[in-house]
Parts: sequence; structure tokens; C-alpha cells
Amino acid sequence: MPSVRDVAVRTEIPSLSRVVTREDVKAYAEAGGDQNPLHQDDAVARAAGFPGIVAHGMFTMGHLAACISRWAGGPERVRRLTAQFRAPVYMGEEIVAGGRVRSVDVERGVALIDCWVSVERDGHEEWPIKRGEADVLLDA
Amino acid sequence: MNAAAAGKVYPDAPFTVDPDRVAAFRAVFDEPSGVPSTFVTAAEFTVIPNIVADPDLGLDFSRVLHGNQEYEFRRPLEEGETLTIRTRIESIRDMGGNGFLLLVTSLVEPGGDVVCTARSTLIERAAS
Repeated sequence: MPSVRDVAVRTEIPSLSRVVTREDVKAYAEAGGDQNPLHQDDAVARAAGFPGIVAHGMFTMGHLAACISRWAGGPERVRRLTAQFRAPVYMGEEIVAGGRVRSVDVERGVALIDCWVSVERDGHEEWPIKRGEADVLLDA
Repeated sequence: MNAAAAGKVYPDAPFTVDPDRVAAFRAVFDEPSGVPSTFVTAAEFTVIPNIVADPDLGLDFSRVLHGNQEYEFRRPLEEGETLTIRTRIESIRDMGGNGFLLLVTSLVEPGGDVVCTARSTLIERAAS
């Protein structure tokens, strides 16, 4: 687990990637409780202007939370997490979560992390999550 | 969406941090232990169906996208505990024909202290 002593500003959080599948998104809908058909029914997604179903924003944020939690040493150390959803995620795409330490509050023992989720689409980098932030409790 | 609904507070609802549901949530994200921070979305979704169906608000859910999400914890959630979910409409704004609905949900422990605050911005896209 990271400690106040060895976490420096600009420390990189190890990135975490996964390929998003229909099965994942369906399992998420059941566990999280968001059964919006936009995330499960291609016809509904097409009517809304998408090429097919899109992952829940909260699926992508859950992946980001897992990335931060691994580095932090458990979800209980993540005391704040924010995300702006800026691009959809389609089935079969690989999302990559990452982060970097912006500042460390030595007195409180908290690191402020800038974090994000990117995806490569048609040769461009898109940002399903941009300008995310996390407060992580560090060891003394 | 009816901007006059801003400030509305929805009825309190109980929410138990069900260990089976937490385990299912952890499995989706391959988290080895604890209650994932975004599990709080399950608490928000105990009230969101009432908000979606609220005639005072008149939200067209078929045009809704999730714009922004924030979670702030005073302490981690504990498996098995029951909290009170309290949701209010913090603001409703129109920007370029798109409606921005900010919901603030507090997860309150029996003593009355807030364990976690969730802020969700839902965007109702302009009708095409």
C-alpha cells in the first residue's frame, strides 16, 4: 500500500485495461440496478443515435474505481471519486483506466489523483472519462 | 423537464448494503475485497425510478445521458448495514436546449450522520 513517504507528485497509477463485452454490461446492469435498455437493446440504442448498445457510464467509472483501488490497497481507501462522462463506450472496445498524483497532503495523509479512461477508436484517442479526480488515503 | 421541480426532496428510502449484491458488483470489476466506491450507484437507483416517473419533473428518460458523477465518503460503506437514502433535486439548468439535472443523494447512518454524498448530473438531450 502506498505511503505518504514514497508517493510523489506526478507518480503514475498503473493503468488497467479491459475489453468490454455484452455479458459484462448485462452483469453490471443487474448488480448496479440500471436497466436502461440503451445498454442492452441495440434497437433502442440505434433509435437514440448510437451504432449499437453503449456501456453504462457507471460501468466505465467502476472500472476506473477498480484501477484506483488496486493502487490504493482497497476500495475503503478511496474517499472521493469524480468523473465527467465525455464519450460513449461500445461493445468489443478496450478501455484503459489510468491516473497520476497531482498533490499529496502530508498532514491528512491523502493523495489527490487526476484520473481518466481512454479508448482508441478509428485511430483516435477518445475519453469516456475525462477530468476525473480521486482522494486516496495513504499509509503513514 | 420542468425547472420548477428544483429543490424537490424525495421520500426517504432504506438501503441495505447486501453482501451478495456487493459480491456480484465486485465480480464485475474484479475487485478482490471491500465495498467498491461506485457501489453507491445501487443506492441511488433505489430512488431514481421514482424521479424518472415523477410528473412534477417530466423527465424524458429516453433522451437522458449520464454527464457527471461524484462520490464523497466520510467513511467506507460496511456490508450488511442499512442506511437511509435521501435524494433531492439540487438544480435544473438549460444549456443550448439540453437540460442538466443535478441530483444529490445522501446515505445517512442511524445516528443521523451522512456516510456518503453522491452527486449525479443527468443530461436530457434536446428533442431532435
